[in-house]
Amino acid sequence: MDVRIFQFNGCNKCFNETILLKGESKYKVEFIEDPKNWKEMKTNVSVITGYLLPEDKDVLEKIKSNSERVIGYGNCATMGGVFALANQHGYEVSPLNKFIENAQKVNGCLGEVEELSSAINNEEIPKLKNLCTVCARKTTCDYLDDVKRQIELEDDTTCFNDLGYLCNGFVTKECKERCIDYNAPCRGCKPIVERSGIRMLGMFGTLMGNIEVATEHSELGATDKLADRDDDITDRLPDVLGNFFRFTLPTSGLPRGRILSSGNILDDVFTGRLIEELPLISGLLGGDHSISLTLKIIETYEEANNIEVSEQTKSYRKELLDLESQLQNAIKNEDPKEYKKITDEIRKIGGNMNLSNLYFGGFKSPIDDEHNFEDYKTHVFDVVEGTYKNGSVEFTIDPIGIVKEIKIKEG
Amino acid sequence: MSCEDIEPEVLEKIEDIVVFMCNECGQGSANTAGVARMAYNPAIRIVRVQCTGQVGPIQIMDALNNGADAVACIGCCLGACHFFNGNILSMHRIKLLKKVFKELGYSDQFVNQYTSRAAEGETAVGDFEDLVIRLANAIKEEGTIKDGC
Repeated sequence: MDVRIFQFNGCNKCFNETILLKGESKYKVEFIEDPKNWKEMKTNVSVITGYLLPEDKDVLEKIKSNSERVIGYGNCATMGGVFALANQHGYEVSPLNKFIENAQKVNGCLGEVEELSSAINNEEIPKLKNLCTVCARKTTCDYLDDVKRQIELEDDTTCFNDLGYLCNGFVTKECKERCIDYNAPCRGCKPIVERSGIRMLGMFGTLMGNIEVATEHSELGATDKLADRDDDITDRLPDVLGNFFRFTLPTSGLPRGRILSSGNILDDVFTGRLIEELPLISGLLGGDHSISLTLKIIETYEEANNIEVSEQTKSYRKELLDLESQLQNAIKNEDPKEYKKITDEIRKIGGNMNLSNLYFGGFKSPIDDEHNFEDYKTHVFDVVEGTYKNGSVEFTIDPIGIVKEIKIKEG
Repeated sequence: MSCEDIEPEVLEKIEDIVVFMCNECGQGSANTAGVARMAYNPAIRIVRVQCTGQVGPIQIMDALNNGADAVACIGCCLGACHFFNGNILSMHRIKLLKKVFKELGYSDQFVNQYTSRAAEGETAVGDFEDLVIRLANAIKEEGTIKDGC
């Protein structure tokens, strides 16, 4: 069986992960990094990775007419993914179903290669449970008195949502990346329901029931209406789109944004996000440069604010950077065994391939039993307004911690 | 400002406003307004629901995606919900949805929540009027929800 894997735009993390298919002898795998110049030929299965723009329509038509089956792999292809946050600024990142109606979908950021493999073999993908059923934390679903942007890392038995820390686990399937194990709440990369973001919005609105909402007297009706001013509801959640719709914006049914674009999709994805979410987002979209990009952002902020990190943290970070260059080599050599070995090492330190464990001032959860957690977690994070610049990364954050401007030079 | 002051070309653009009214105070006040033969803007389309707590972002977005120019919920007065606190929960969700619209670069007046009193028809009609005026101002400044991109 012929399997051709096409990388469209954006980060190449899912594309790289498909190297693991090469280890399976059942089918012949071919990687196509530049689909625009692909010489048409008949193929059994085509796998699409990366985000899709309207100008990719012709290439996708070509792939569709030459393939027996088309599979979208990873959130960028299936739902727009994290790059679709740029739709806020007028981009038109679209899900694969808009171009190829009957395409199969393998969701996830990063998508699970086992699921892709069973999709290629036309096997039934096992039904996955809701993330909350496999989470170690327990929920009560009580109304919240307070919504928080930072939580105490010590408590690992109470549900994030009960702590007032938004987690999309309610609307998500169980997954391999498991951000929840590394003190990072779920952002819903594998939705279990249609239009998961907007459902979670309703759910979290209900959970906020105890928090006072601002109303005002309307003169005409002599009754109350929602006030136009900001209140606790909007102040506690400064970035609703980035938190509820991180992967699902084009499929959520919301209109396309009309905020002025900066002209660069990567900058537009980051603009409007919260500073404490930056490491998580850069971990998602950096592809094989995600480690250096994430560490660059973290270190820029740490240096400017004189945040000291422990020696242990430094050595782990250095190890991660070494692993990144080894990973790039393994990808170049298309060596599945080496790739697996290195990604396992990265997962051990960074938590998962989205680097959920990396954070300002250290790590979010214990890495190994040899060292105390205190050795690599020394700092409690807070928001400091200002402009941060360090080589290839430059960003400005406002007093509430929203990224106003960001410039990331490629590479 | 009243409804008569709205420019005809703006008023033309307001074709459908879906208003979810709760079965108790909301619909009650609309009935009272009807008995008293009070006039209101013909663009208002009332959908009767048991409680505004039933209405969430999904229903609101469905209405907007299917051609509504704006959506509003009208529930009982604060503290007087017949189902404990449905009107307040609805307010929370709509407040979040308003924030989403702002983050997308739209006016936040396309979704709104009001309260009314069953015994006073003018509260419902006043809410409708306020709704139309706010929407007209939003359209004048930032365009309708349809001519977004």
